[in-house]
Amino acid sequence: MNTITSYHRPATLGEVVALLGRTDVTTTVIAGGTALNGTSLPTNIEVVDLQTAVAQGIERHGDKVRYGAMTHLQDLIDHYDTPPLIAELARREGPNTLRNASTIGGNVAAGDFESELFAGLLVHEASLTVVDSTGTKEVALADLLTDFSILDRAVITTVSVTIGGETASARTGRTPADTSIVAAAGRIVSSGVLIALTGVAPTPVLVDVANLASLNPPTDFRGTSEYRRELAEVLTKRVVAHLGGAA
Amino acid sequence: MNITLTVNGSERTYNCEPHESLRAVLRREGFFSVRFGAETGETGADAILVDGRLVSSEILLAAQADGHVIETLEGLNLPRGLHPIQEAFVETGAIQSGYSTPAAILAAKALIDSNPNPTEAEVRDALSGILDRETGYLRPVQAVLRAAAMLRGERMAAVEPVLIEPLVALGGTPDMAAANPTLDLDPVAPRVIPSPEVPETKVVGKPERKVDAVKLAKGNPAFVDDIEMRGMLYAKMLYSPHAHARIISIDDSKAAALAGVHAVLHHENTARVRYASGGQSYPNPLPYDQVSFDNKVRHVGDRVAVVAAETIDIAEQAVKLIEVEYEVLPAVFDENEAIAGDAPIIHDEGDMEGAHDAARNIVTHIDAEVGDIEAGLATADRVFERTFRVHQVHASPIEPHIAIAWLDSDERLVVRTSTQVPFHVRRMLAPLLGMPVRDIRIIKPRIGGGFGVKQEMLIEDIVGHLALATGRPVRLELNRQEEFVSSRTRHPQTITFTTGVSNDGTLVAQRMRTVANTGPYGTHSLTVQMVSGLRGLSSYNCPNKKFDCDVAYTNTPVAGAYRGYGAPQALFALESHMDDIATEIGMDVLEFRRKNWTKVGDPLDVAGELGEGAADMKFVPVVTSSGMDECVVQGQRAVAWHRRKDPAWIQPADRPNIRRGLGFAMCMHGSSISGLDMGGASIKINDDGSFNLLMGATDLGTGADTILAQIAAEVLGCPTEDIVVYAADTDMTPFDVGAYASSTTYVSGMAVKKAAEEVHRQIVTRAAIMLDVDSPGSIELKDKAAFAPDGRSVTLEQVALHSLHQDDQHQIMAANSYVAPDSPPPYAAQFAEVEVDIDTGQVTVQNLVMAVDCGVPINPLTSAGQVEGGMVQALGYGHCEEMALDDEGRMVNARFGPYKIYRADEMPRIEAYLVQTMEKSGPFGAKAIAEIPKDGVAPAIRNAIFNATGTQIDNIPFTPERVWRAMRSS
Repeated sequence: MNTITSYHRPATLGEVVALLGRTDVTTTVIAGGTALNGTSLPTNIEVVDLQTAVAQGIERHGDKVRYGAMTHLQDLIDHYDTPPLIAELARREGPNTLRNASTIGGNVAAGDFESELFAGLLVHEASLTVVDSTGTKEVALADLLTDFSILDRAVITTVSVTIGGETASARTGRTPADTSIVAAAGRIVSSGVLIALTGVAPTPVLVDVANLASLNPPTDFRGTSEYRRELAEVLTKRVVAHLGGAA
Repeated sequence: MNITLTVNGSERTYNCEPHESLRAVLRREGFFSVRFGAETGETGADAILVDGRLVSSEILLAAQADGHVIETLEGLNLPRGLHPIQEAFVETGAIQSGYSTPAAILAAKALIDSNPNPTEAEVRDALSGILDRETGYLRPVQAVLRAAAMLRGERMAAVEPVLIEPLVALGGTPDMAAANPTLDLDPVAPRVIPSPEVPETKVVGKPERKVDAVKLAKGNPAFVDDIEMRGMLYAKMLYSPHAHARIISIDDSKAAALAGVHAVLHHENTARVRYASGGQSYPNPLPYDQVSFDNKVRHVGDRVAVVAAETIDIAEQAVKLIEVEYEVLPAVFDENEAIAGDAPIIHDEGDMEGAHDAARNIVTHIDAEVGDIEAGLATADRVFERTFRVHQVHASPIEPHIAIAWLDSDERLVVRTSTQVPFHVRRMLAPLLGMPVRDIRIIKPRIGGGFGVKQEMLIEDIVGHLALATGRPVRLELNRQEEFVSSRTRHPQTITFTTGVSNDGTLVAQRMRTVANTGPYGTHSLTVQMVSGLRGLSSYNCPNKKFDCDVAYTNTPVAGAYRGYGAPQALFALESHMDDIATEIGMDVLEFRRKNWTKVGDPLDVAGELGEGAADMKFVPVVTSSGMDECVVQGQRAVAWHRRKDPAWIQPADRPNIRRGLGFAMCMHGSSISGLDMGGASIKINDDGSFNLLMGATDLGTGADTILAQIAAEVLGCPTEDIVVYAADTDMTPFDVGAYASSTTYVSGMAVKKAAEEVHRQIVTRAAIMLDVDSPGSIELKDKAAFAPDGRSVTLEQVALHSLHQDDQHQIMAANSYVAPDSPPPYAAQFAEVEVDIDTGQVTVQNLVMAVDCGVPINPLTSAGQVEGGMVQALGYGHCEEMALDDEGRMVNARFGPYKIYRADEMPRIEAYLVQTMEKSGPFGAKAIAEIPKDGVAPAIRNAIFNATGTQIDNIPFTPERVWRAMRSS
């Protein structure tokens, strides 16, 4: 905490981008702030708070629901346009004291490998609006997985999901509300079933159901690589079965 | 920078640093209801409302809140009396320590404001961010539901115990339980199974309000950190990054030169005085293997140095400027490897006192035998042996260790500290600081939970040294990570039981071999293992018993006292082993135990070979009361025990990967350390006929102050509210050993009762004069008055005024103390229901039922709360909590979440039954209740998994991969 030397709350995206573009200081973006605190920060940093410059809010356009990146997870959960799987997995991100502060944009930017919401966004074919000094672009969430540097000196302003399609999820944890050791989220799309897993790679990932054996999950005190691979198989099978086996 | 906040309706500009949390700023501005639990916000003790929504104030920068509307509990408080939500929390017994109660009340307010008629699930979600180590969430959830009803205008009946017909005492058999359906009872009503032996009482046995209810429900400044001292300095520790290393050099020059730094202490400038940190009676048990600062570190998180500075930021900065050169040494973490003979020697210094064999890392060796174990095993029809391993967990009170020390106007040292043992701390501190005991005063205010981890002089020497070095008040608070790695933990143990039984199921010989892991310091190592051996070998009668124990030094975080104190370890092994034996010999698991468990009149003979404290003590307690039979049948009924033999229930047809099971464990504990634990109390009358009760007893949130006031009120014929309690201040109150060993009700309660009886004698003597009655003994105290046999009376106020002001003036007062010759065991039956996912190993605990014989519960509301909360802590032990260390001895999960404790929104059903017995040696028939809830959950879950899957798992916790591997290999 005491490594934060300056706090900014810019009013516009232009100011945000300008602050992030500085090369003489280390600048960190805070959305809800839940990920920042408690993290050991390496050096003196300045923080840029997005609460004014980036919008909250939820809008539906056809088969898409678009969230302002600063939408709190609890607001997303409570909104009638939010797909049930997204609401369920957002609830699993933490207790209400954190869901009332965490934002969907912050959740995506953190890219936590255990985030079930991130997995849910992947199967809902989420896309992001990203703003940096070169302008505004749309990025598929799946593409972010291969190149997180898209977010360097940039901010996420919206997160959009495609709604519709039957969904299912399955998970294993120590207790019912525990962060899952491995979780699977699935959704039926025109081409078949999309499956995303947490806990098996450095970020949540979309997986090829036929090729789960190629996963090389990390080991930690809650689950060895071998066990996580087994869970990937079992939980994927359950989600696929729930969705009618239409893999 | 300046920020503008609207706090509780008042808009104001506040100055803050860019890095400061909103919690830090609010506390600095005097909003003391906002409390610190963890630097990462997971405890929710810091939760407030921001724009009407519950948010952890620790994870918000104060700057982020600029322009927003903040509500703290102070904004809800009425000038006098309680808000309906606060009232509901008090009435339901939802408040124990009260540390996180302000946050829970705000959570309730936010929920009810938006949803006047919430469901239980919605309430649980609203409380999901406020971790609770005390209540098991049952009563807080019910409190919110009750508050919502009250605010909707519904009239709520008082919370009263529900009396349940005894089954055994009415001539029923245990099978009756199977035939009787589970009762449908109000969740919040304490369930009491009355005993006809228990006499009628007016205050004792009633669900009285806590005497500290107002300050806790309103979040008033009552805890250690809730005072403001002019010129106070902030201390920050430098801890070892290595598991085992010698300090080659330490250079504090840069730290000391930093502006605002007032002292830097370490081994080169602090007196080297040997001590043991466990808060125990004089003389403290050996070994004396600690000093305030050493030239060697023995675990990651061991003390290296401390800084005191003008602000916490400066102190943290200064700590980083201390330059330490280490010679890193090989380390050992496993207790069996540590004593194998070829491990690194952890205590190689010359001045350490009292370890059994320091060269082999053996702190303590215990041998105790009753009968002849080898001969017994030789005569047994069958012999069973099994080895169990229990792991390291942390007590994790939501308030971490905190102490503030200063020199008063007489230049005596005052330490305001979150401790369970103020009098021990005073005595132990004196030699370390080179001060006489008379010049030290320890004050224990309200504290936010203890659970044993505060039965330790953990940081008081540090603030004492610093206050003396600087002449300024000094505050040290551990953050959550420090609390995990630098305080105390439950001993990991490897336990092997060897048991001989005859063909009819009678135990003939039982041996318990333990290797325990104390970490690098032997605090509590002897006594925890004595209790472990005692509890492991006392539940059941057996003519030949042996306890054989080595305690190992290792380089893990330090073990010490934790609620249960060796019993949860022993009873996990014993009760798992007993289930296995019953299954092997084809007996019912309850019948096998019932055949062997101790009954009234049976001696607890192994105690005579163990003792605690005085080495020559050969006391053999005899069971004088037991409600065990009743506990079992009540529990059987509540949990629907008969289902465990129904294959269709075990394997539900609609969920092919699920197996269900029910498990049982018998529990037995003690009530104090007989012959050693002592409590003192004094009582004086005031002008209005009220009383001041001063005592050394140490309420950790358990309700001790309340039940002790109830005992005094019962004797003195007045309501509990007429007893004004002040406790645990070494200058002001009589001595008490403190809150541990399940002693407060039984020992301190008797001290209060004896003092009250003497005050009673003085009152009736005075009243006899006033009423002109010859025999004071004929006068009865009731309803705040003294009654002559003919019905005439004088009020206690008249008695007080007469004695204080009018005639033959005399202060009616008395002091007394008590040391118990006995330690009557409370008994309990613990049941667990689980579901096991056979494909993943995930265990879901569905239901925990504990029926406890604690004698006469002095306050059924607080007693039920003790059982509910204790069971949930025990659930964490068996199911999900573990301190995970990497290969270098660093804890990798020193944060709630990764260190998993249960939340309100994921709880199994929990239920407590209080089975009365009349324990004649206890105050109004009471035995202890504090620790026994910790004893049986882990083995009951283990046995339920066995019932569900046929797999026996001998290590805890039952985390998914462990269960999955066990099922695959069996």
